Amino acid sequence: MFRRTTLALLLLCVLPVARAQDSEAAVPSAPGVPLRKLPTDVILINGALPSASDHSTPLPEGGAVRKDVYNNDYFGLSYALPSGWFEKYKGPPPSDSGAYVLTLLRPGANYKGASRGTLLITAQDMFFTPLPAQTAKETIEQTKATLQAEYKVEHAPSQVTVANHAFMRFDYTSPVAGLHWYVLATEVRCHTVRFVFTSQDPELLETLIKDLDSMKLADADAPLCVADYAEAPNITYKIDPVLTEQKFNAIPVRIIIDKSGKVRHVHVISAFPAQAKAITDALMTWRFKPYLRDAQPVEVETGILFGAAKRAKPTSTLAKPSS
Amino acid sequence: MTRRVIPLTLSLSLLFVLQAFAQVDPGVRGGGAAAGAPLSSVAANNPVTILNFFNDAKARFTEIDSVSGTVAGEGGFGLGPRYNSRSCVACHAQPAVGGSAPAVNPQVGDATADGATNPVPSFITSSGPVREARFPFFFDQFNNPDPNRPNGGVEDLYTITGRVDAPAACNSTVLPRPSFTLAVNTGNIIFRIPTPTFGTGLMENIDDSTLLTNFNNQQNNNVGVGGTFNHNGNDGTISRFGWKAQNKSLEIFAGEAYNVEMGVSNELFTQERPLPGEDMINGLASVCRVNPTPEDHTNFNTTSIATLSDTVQFAMFMRFLAAPTPSTTVPGGATSIANGRSLFTSVGCAVCHTASLTTSPSRFTPSLGSATASLFSDIEIHHMGTGLNDNVSQGGAGGDQFRTAPLWGLGQRIFFLHDGRTKDLLVAIEEHESSGSEAITVESNFDLLSSSQKQDVLNFLRSL
Repeated sequence: MFRRTTLALLLLCVLPVARAQDSEAAVPSAPGVPLRKLPTDVILINGALPSASDHSTPLPEGGAVRKDVYNNDYFGLSYALPSGWFEKYKGPPPSDSGAYVLTLLRPGANYKGASRGTLLITAQDMFFTPLPAQTAKETIEQTKATLQAEYKVEHAPSQVTVANHAFMRFDYTSPVAGLHWYVLATEVRCHTVRFVFTSQDPELLETLIKDLDSMKLADADAPLCVADYAEAPNITYKIDPVLTEQKFNAIPVRIIIDKSGKVRHVHVISAFPAQAKAITDALMTWRFKPYLRDAQPVEVETGILFGAAKRAKPTSTLAKPSS
Repeated sequence: MTRRVIPLTLSLSLLFVLQAFAQVDPGVRGGGAAAGAPLSSVAANNPVTILNFFNDAKARFTEIDSVSGTVAGEGGFGLGPRYNSRSCVACHAQPAVGGSAPAVNPQVGDATADGATNPVPSFITSSGPVREARFPFFFDQFNNPDPNRPNGGVEDLYTITGRVDAPAACNSTVLPRPSFTLAVNTGNIIFRIPTPTFGTGLMENIDDSTLLTNFNNQQNNNVGVGGTFNHNGNDGTISRFGWKAQNKSLEIFAGEAYNVEMGVSNELFTQERPLPGEDMINGLASVCRVNPTPEDHTNFNTTSIATLSDTVQFAMFMRFLAAPTPSTTVPGGATSIANGRSLFTSVGCAVCHTASLTTSPSRFTPSLGSATASLFSDIEIHHMGTGLNDNVSQGGAGGDQFRTAPLWGLGQRIFFLHDGRTKDLLVAIEEHESSGSEAITVESNFDLLSSSQKQDVLNFLRSL
């Protein structure tokens, strides 16, 4: 997307503004300068977008399908696509409440199977979720608790192990549509990462879930994620960003603080360009008390919300499950 | 010959059989307009005199404007100097006064009405939708679109030049028209069609807290939908009217349309409007600023209803229009419609197209207060991807972000999507899917349905 936009901008050179006017008959083109059409499949005027302080640190939205494998370095995720499946379209940019569409996979023209389905992989940044749920377990239980009348539970939420990770699994169906949704959710770097399998064929879904076991999912090298670490007692120096562009939008930001307390990386999840620059420039000057684990300083990742009133911390309305 | 005929006959038979099972848009629902009536409490004249206000407002909504109010049969005043059409109802007509683009486009006739000398742009046709045009970017000195100069403002189709009531000095030299040909040839043009206004008083009266609660409730969806709101730049509250939810209230919506679409200055938009770019150079030529401003204003020393400006009354008319009445049986029968409704929710359409929201108590009239608005919209703006992107930013909405279109009244609409690109509801659904769209998962779920299930969804939508 960015490459295409850049290319389009380069092709259409920067020149002074002018109004083209005619009487509809003439098509005024300057002598020797051919008319250039705008590209039709490029979003040149964007709303709020993600950005980062560097290009090397992996980002949640940075995953991609290459050679039939979906890789996401941020989540340490590597998933081999089912044979004949592909990513037809990219998902939207992350939302201002920290929701990501990582990929949507579906059978392509070369798919040999008898039945069809889809796999949606999403992530929700739990620092910014508006849900009354703080864990994958609570999120899935809330899905069940708020299931609409069109759906029926097939298998209640339960803990399973997939690819050596603890997942919550929840299956439900829509009898009228004949569709089944098998949902698996786990926690990575304070995100709920969700795999949503959909099909009219439960056997296909079971096969896909079985194959999911060969997925790689490892966040061992990732910074420790700590909620609300960027608060007064932990900050030793800060300059507040001045947001001159008032759009009344929430601006969720993740930062990585190194062992010495310096900000190593800023990821603005959703902001307009001027907002993102002001926030990034300011945050890179902030200093923190090093975070200690077992009396040793460690790198941490935390979240800060700009541009909007901080939401009250969501509290689960679910009954505590009996143990 | 016989050998060829048999396979051909078989092929045609197979084609017909396949067509018989393929889902099709049932088309515009017949049986008379299921919209256009006032809210029940307005019809009951509660509070007293409100029905008189509604009827007066409707008359103003249907009035044709001339430049100076001197053309027989055209009761309105203030048209131009540039315009897209000459009355509110010209654009808001289907299936009744207040609706969307009609089957026959009045803009063809508007080009030359009362002696005007405008050519009709290539994208305006008799059987096409009413359209306003915008150029996403200004042109450079070589007449190529310049992506570093975002424009996005409305480029009015017509001028008053040549009209019997326009000054001769206001000619095409001092009042030029934009080059629509150039814009089309360079792909630097996008279109918007009129949004229907039925039930908009209910939408106006949904509290922000209700919208936020609905937003929160939908965030745990399994279809990859995010969403956010557009906000009014002055007070920061959620705005809700227009294709990108860029307008806060019906009065702002009416005032802007009166100024932009018909060229009538008013108390909210007080000057005659130059074209985008013209406003940064010389503004409008004085010979074309025909009337004192604002042309539409509060009328003193007159009767109570006539005191109100057109803009206020346009807003009243829209506000007091009842929501469209859905059919429970047409098209396809009650069972198909009920199935379609369940399927619509099942595949995830209802995550954005929220079936209903409750309004706040109203001081206008009882029907607006604490009512269920079955609008099928969350009033959020969502990324709709490269396919629907129009590269126009409005408020917090970027080029590909659009308000979830309310679906009430969909059954009797002719043209779909923001630019009226299709009359086929199935195509409109498919257009939800492109790179960057929040609807790709929902659309792929829809694709997993059988043809008869898809037909049920189409029947349900056409029942609205």
